[in-house]
Amino acid sequence: MFEERSLLTRVVSTLAKAMAIAGGLTLVAIVVLVVVSVTGRALLWAGLRPITGDYELVSAGIGFAVFAFLPWTHLNRGHAVVTIFTDNFSPKANSILLFLADLAMLAASSFIAWRLYFGMLDKFAYRETTLLLRMPLGWSYAACMVGASIFVIVALFVFARTVEDIIKGNPPRLGQGAGH
Amino acid sequence: MSNIQLGLLAFPVILALIFLRVPIGLAMLGVGIGGSYLIVGNFNPVMAQFKSLTYGTFASYSLSVVPLFLLMGQFATIGGMSAALFKAAAAWMGHRKGGVAMAAVGACGGFGAICGSSLATAATMGHVALPEMRKYGYSGALATGAVAAGGTLGILIPPSVILVIFAVLTEQNIAKLFMAAFIPGFLAALGYMIVIAIYVRVNPESAGTRERVPYRERFAELGKIWPVLLVFIAVIGGIYTGIFTPTEAAAIGAAGTALIALASRALNRQKLSEAFLATASATAMIFLIVLGAAALNSFLALSQLPQFMSNWVADQGFNPWIVLAVVLVFYLVMGCVMDSLSMILLTVPIIFPMMSGLDFGLTPDEFAIWFGILVLIVVEVGLITPPVGMNLFIINSMAKDTRLSQTFKGALPFVASDIVRTIILVAFPGITLSLVWLLY
Amino acid sequence: QEVTMRIHQFLPAQAPIPAQAIAPWAERVTEESDGRIVFELYPAMQLGGTPPSLFDQAQDGVVDIVWTVLGYTPGRFPKSEVFELPFMLTNGEETSRAFHNYVTEHAMDEFSGVHLIAAHTHGPGLFHTADPITSLEDLQGMRIRGGSRIISNMLAQLGAEPIGMPVPETTEALSRGVIEGTTIPWEVTPSLRISELVTNHTGFSGDYGLYTQTFGFVMNRATYESLPDDLRAVIDANSGIEVARAFGRVMDEGDIAGLEIARELGNSIVELDEEETARWREAAQPTIDQWLQDMESIGLDGEALYAAAQAALNAEIGQ
Ligand code: NA
Ligand code: NA
Repeated sequence: MFEERSLLTRVVSTLAKAMAIAGGLTLVAIVVLVVVSVTGRALLWAGLRPITGDYELVSAGIGFAVFAFLPWTHLNRGHAVVTIFTDNFSPKANSILLFLADLAMLAASSFIAWRLYFGMLDKFAYRETTLLLRMPLGWSYAACMVGASIFVIVALFVFARTVEDIIKGNPPRLGQGAGH
Repeated sequence: MSNIQLGLLAFPVILALIFLRVPIGLAMLGVGIGGSYLIVGNFNPVMAQFKSLTYGTFASYSLSVVPLFLLMGQFATIGGMSAALFKAAAAWMGHRKGGVAMAAVGACGGFGAICGSSLATAATMGHVALPEMRKYGYSGALATGAVAAGGTLGILIPPSVILVIFAVLTEQNIAKLFMAAFIPGFLAALGYMIVIAIYVRVNPESAGTRERVPYRERFAELGKIWPVLLVFIAVIGGIYTGIFTPTEAAAIGAAGTALIALASRALNRQKLSEAFLATASATAMIFLIVLGAAALNSFLALSQLPQFMSNWVADQGFNPWIVLAVVLVFYLVMGCVMDSLSMILLTVPIIFPMMSGLDFGLTPDEFAIWFGILVLIVVEVGLITPPVGMNLFIINSMAKDTRLSQTFKGALPFVASDIVRTIILVAFPGITLSLVWLLY
Repeated sequence: QEVTMRIHQFLPAQAPIPAQAIAPWAERVTEESDGRIVFELYPAMQLGGTPPSLFDQAQDGVVDIVWTVLGYTPGRFPKSEVFELPFMLTNGEETSRAFHNYVTEHAMDEFSGVHLIAAHTHGPGLFHTADPITSLEDLQGMRIRGGSRIISNMLAQLGAEPIGMPVPETTEALSRGVIEGTTIPWEVTPSLRISELVTNHTGFSGDYGLYTQTFGFVMNRATYESLPDDLRAVIDANSGIEVARAFGRVMDEGDIAGLEIARELGNSIVELDEEETARWREAAQPTIDQWLQDMESIGLDGEALYAAAQAALNAEIGQ
């Protein structure tokens, strides 16, 4: 079910990738927005204007982008881990640790998405908006819910794949870990 | 158990989890939530807090500079700026003994000026410089060690993602921190070049020679790096003069490097998608740790540990310089096993207020800047110290014929230069602060 | 000790309201409860989250008490917002009493999720600019930071170019010329070092100031209701109009201190005469009309609220 070419793997991977690309495009949109706004601010004398509410648009965009990036990063084991000690452990011990870590990530992603959902309901209920543009904050939360939900799906997939690996006796899929 | 003891206990628990391969951000998140539960006695506050905490942490204007700097570095890599920088540097100093390695370090410094991340700098420069060094008979140890060390200039020379995080954590001015990073970053590049000069004198067989390039050609190569200069001036100049906020500068830098990439005709859909995915991974990794740190810090504040620690250290009457030395050695040792960003987010909320209470003869702002640069340098050493040095791994994976142990060996002289530089910067805070004094 | 309460707010501990209003309030409650209610003070968002999340933190029980700017959550306090309208205030103390009275009579539904200890305002916000403003014409096209939606609207309607930016960015932006001025009360100028960065300050003559912002000092409802009767009585005795007055007075004292710094620096401090002030009031009228329309669109009687707010304020003038 979790083989490289299986339908499920392809669907989950495509979802995560599409989300990450959407986040990347959002960053590009932010870049364009900021360049236009800064130009407008610099050329006030020529009758141009900065974009009203650029700060809140940038914030909302980054929020969406980060949520959109989470699924891809977890699917590809891009989160920072320390492997120096576990490198000396047996594959079996590593499998068990991976099982626990993937379960924890599933729990964390579900918790984050679940709470975000209630946060979204609050923002809609209280009709909270941004400062200048008066964009309803609920919609910003709703956009982030997309990334958060796919994060849960990916975490579930990764966890189930680890369980299957253990049952089948496959070596643990440790990935590279990351730094910067 | 008192709340302070509970706060203290958090650190061994987090370290144990991290050493068992739990993602660092996840470990901090879990301990933060669990710790708050133990202090408050129920989950209700944490549950309520997370309705808005994740969104509030991610949708942050001041942190938006992080993904934008990362995207900027990706575009710079696609645009082939690393190759142009390396060619120019090699044309000027390649003919000297060890000159190609020095050119790699110089080019890393140049690339660091338009890239906020060490790994990206090391990876892109390794791609360009490693084959060239092997061609001229450089040993695997020297070649990989030099590029791995040079990669750290990506963070040491502004713009720097880690300095942004430090600035946000300690509520310092990003522009001043960037300015303060210049001279130490320049000294780092100089130190690495001196290491190479000594290295090839002690091991003459480790480097071959490259023919001298006529001046006309040297200037021609130099002429090709103007886009880097332009982007750098726009970004750093914009931040310094305050024409742009750091976020605006990062966006303009990303736009500039994207234009360079477009002009070089290297930016196709495939490359763009790769740039997005690389930015996605690095961004999500950083923000998960930032979220974990937010949960952890809220627990630590509840435990009153930060206040307790800073009062305690102040009351003991320790010699401030000895405390500083202990803290820096602690970072150095931790850097051997952990990545720099996690270390900063994990420790700065406790250590920074503690250190701020000590008297180094500096104003609070000066101290914050100086301490931030020192911490940045010692945690960055971790990128090239075995056993866990991310730059070493990245570069070594590119040099198929070099064993990891050789790369480790090749990096050690550069670590030594880092330590010497740190001691100099500790002894003379004025070196770090002079540009800030001059410009502000 | 029977009850420990956590107080969370966004300013550093040494700022005027935390040091001179919140801390003394907490001490008094502890004293009057014979030490049975004690407080832990968490300044500068130490317990996490962003300033806009503070009100929810009190409502949802993340902490027990918060002090927050109501304008941080635009759209959530439409009725309370009326006090942010132009020329809707006198000084901090009178306006705080008026605002507290107004809230308890007309806007309690906006605070139904919490126990309201006090609602208050700051003193008159005014212009702090690089170039002098002596008439409405001087303001035209000036890049000015405004702190809230209504203030930004008002700046645009007065002919300025409003630049929205977070408070911490103001000092830097001002020193680098990104903005040419900002609107804030005197009380905030020392901490942002405004008077060192600009040399011109412009206020208005007559009883009314340009604008104010509204604040809430609120307690989690469950915390309040779970108190035994005698302790709840202590909280009740330390809730209400006198607390609002005390907070407003601290704002006024902060205004005096901020003004004094600008004087010592030899800055130019202008009070526009009555004739000129009248022109500004007229120019700011569209902001009020806009707000009335906004209220209508969400089904509130803006005219009545505006009249009630004016009546509440006028009842306090000179009291
Ligand atoms: Na850099
Ligand atoms: Na290391």
